Amino acid sequence: MIVFKGFLTITKRNLHMVFLYIVIFLTISIATQKLLEPQNSVSFKPESLNITVIDRDGGELAKGLASYLASYHTIKDIPDDKSILQDRLFYREVYYIATIPENFEEKCLKNKETLPVTKIPGGSSGFYVDQQIDTFLNGVRILNAGGFSVKDAAAQIIKNAGEIPDVTLIDKTGHGGDIPGHAFMYQYMPYIIISILCYTLSYIMLEFNRPDVKKRMQCSALSARTLNLQLFLGYAVIGLVIWFICALMAAIVYGKELLTDPHLPYYLINSFVLTIVALAISFFVSSFLKSDELVSAVVNVLTLGMSFLCGVFVSLEILGKGVRTVAHFLPVYWYEVNNNLIAGNRTLSSSQMTELCQGLIIQLLFAAALLGTALVFRRNQAQSEG
Amino acid sequence: MIHIENLVKRYGSFVALDHLNLDIQEGEVFGLLGPNGSGKTTAINCLLALLKYDKGNITVFGRQMHPDSYDLKKDIGVVMQNVAVFEQMTVRENIDYFCGLYVRDRNERQKLVDEAIRFTGLEDYLKMRPKKLSGGLLRRLNIACGIVHKPRLIIMDEPTVAVDPQSRNRILEGILELNRQGSTIIYTSHYMEEVEQICSRIAIIDHGQVLATGTTEELKSMIKTGETITIETIHLGENELDGIQKLPHVFDLTYEDQVLKLRLSSAKHNLIRILNYLQEHDIAFGRVFSELPTLNDVFLEITGKELRD
Repeated sequence: MIVFKGFLTITKRNLHMVFLYIVIFLTISIATQKLLEPQNSVSFKPESLNITVIDRDGGELAKGLASYLASYHTIKDIPDDKSILQDRLFYREVYYIATIPENFEEKCLKNKETLPVTKIPGGSSGFYVDQQIDTFLNGVRILNAGGFSVKDAAAQIIKNAGEIPDVTLIDKTGHGGDIPGHAFMYQYMPYIIISILCYTLSYIMLEFNRPDVKKRMQCSALSARTLNLQLFLGYAVIGLVIWFICALMAAIVYGKELLTDPHLPYYLINSFVLTIVALAISFFVSSFLKSDELVSAVVNVLTLGMSFLCGVFVSLEILGKGVRTVAHFLPVYWYEVNNNLIAGNRTLSSSQMTELCQGLIIQLLFAAALLGTALVFRRNQAQSEG
Repeated sequence: MIHIENLVKRYGSFVALDHLNLDIQEGEVFGLLGPNGSGKTTAINCLLALLKYDKGNITVFGRQMHPDSYDLKKDIGVVMQNVAVFEQMTVRENIDYFCGLYVRDRNERQKLVDEAIRFTGLEDYLKMRPKKLSGGLLRRLNIACGIVHKPRLIIMDEPTVAVDPQSRNRILEGILELNRQGSTIIYTSHYMEEVEQICSRIAIIDHGQVLATGTTEELKSMIKTGETITIETIHLGENELDGIQKLPHVFDLTYEDQVLKLRLSSAKHNLIRILNYLQEHDIAFGRVFSELPTLNDVFLEITGKELRD
């Protein structure tokens, strides 16, 4: 097992780099996920403002509007004096002043004139009151057109003002309808796994692929088959370690939420298959790279390009149709499709299970194709050297 | 031990080895001497089955050599022209790694590694990485990696290229010691002094062909040159040069930059005869050198060009 031992020795020399990459990529990924993750915000909470209604009309519709607004806001009684009103507005005692003009019904209901209002300049809270006034007037108009008197129409709208419809979201994901946080971590995982494996293994293989060393090994008593098997073992061990670290980090960051997720085995299987793909990509890349300087450039282009195209950084749903069509020809796309399937459904139907298995098989086929291409390239290269 | 017969290797239209024939006996330090591009490394690569050849036959230890002849390769040590070690391993790790390609037993390996380290004098550099080593030390590490498993046959392809004289002497002494310990050595070089110093038999190669084979003495006796005399002198005219040329045993004469160089066939009193001639003709002269023929003379006479050209 001397080649395997040598492989691990060189890995040990690059360990600082491996851990550096792990820390960098995990930090970026966790930070990104926390930003992308939907916040646990309460969807809507009505605000109550201090407002003033100056009623210069005194009619039923004007009183109705004042009552309607009073059901949402606190009405402050302020004298109808321009300078006083401006003062109160300036000192934020009130945020909104609605002035109901004489002949309100005629002007605003029938002629659809705008109600004169005064708001705090640049403030956003006034828009909410604007909407409520529009809702009230539109409601009265509709009911009035339907045969209600203005008084009855206004009363009817005031009556419905406080009612909140009961809305229940279907919990399709098993996480209150939301995509769980750890799904984002697994969404981001291809970037971490492929980057780390490509960097690490490319640097290690640069040593083994140096023409003089390669030639020297060919002179030795170690068969090519044994040499390749031991290198393969080295790849497998590094792949397993990186996969385990990533899975462990996800478990540490998301704890119980991930560990109690019934889909955890699917996440693990999907990411494990992705690790096999990443190993094949690393082998493919290291077969072509001849210098340290190229590793960084090629690996960056490859991992970032694939991540952007395949829905690692941006969700697949948001990506354009053209991009998604191109992404079909990349293995990470199938990983992300599987990840979305796992994250988006509390239980997987048999057709979804079939889809999941298809995704896994396609990823493995990509790995086989990459491995095959790299082996053919290496064989041709050896033949041309001989 | 090694038999190479009618070996032909072509790179497109370029013939690298042109019906090369070699026989190397056990216990020899066999030198392959030739200028750069003469086919030495190609011959070695064919011998090690690193290169496919177009025609010919190679047997090592009496058996055909193939890329998968691992049982034969077990008894062969290789010191490549370029240093072939892992940059990210220390000196000891490198020697241990290359020993491990031949020896599985850990205890035996440790013993062999320690011996190779002592042999090459690398004791003080065990934890250093190759990048930190000087050219000479790097070459010694390369040799240690090649000989660590104590092979019967050691192939050294120009192991002293770009090495300082002190390290070169140490390497050459080491090679002779390995030979004394029982290893047969094939040594390729374009430095004739090295080959002359350590090789018991030499093959001179050029354009992929063996031009001559034999011991140093045998090779020197093959040529006409018995002595080369060099004289620093000025004002030599056509008549004087003609006169010198006509002296007995002189068969070649050059006069460039006030240096007269004469090649003479082997005979007694050559130098005295030349000096007498100069005195008789009142020709002033400075330093005078007389040299016995070298392998360069052998090469020059066989090919019509200097070994270092």
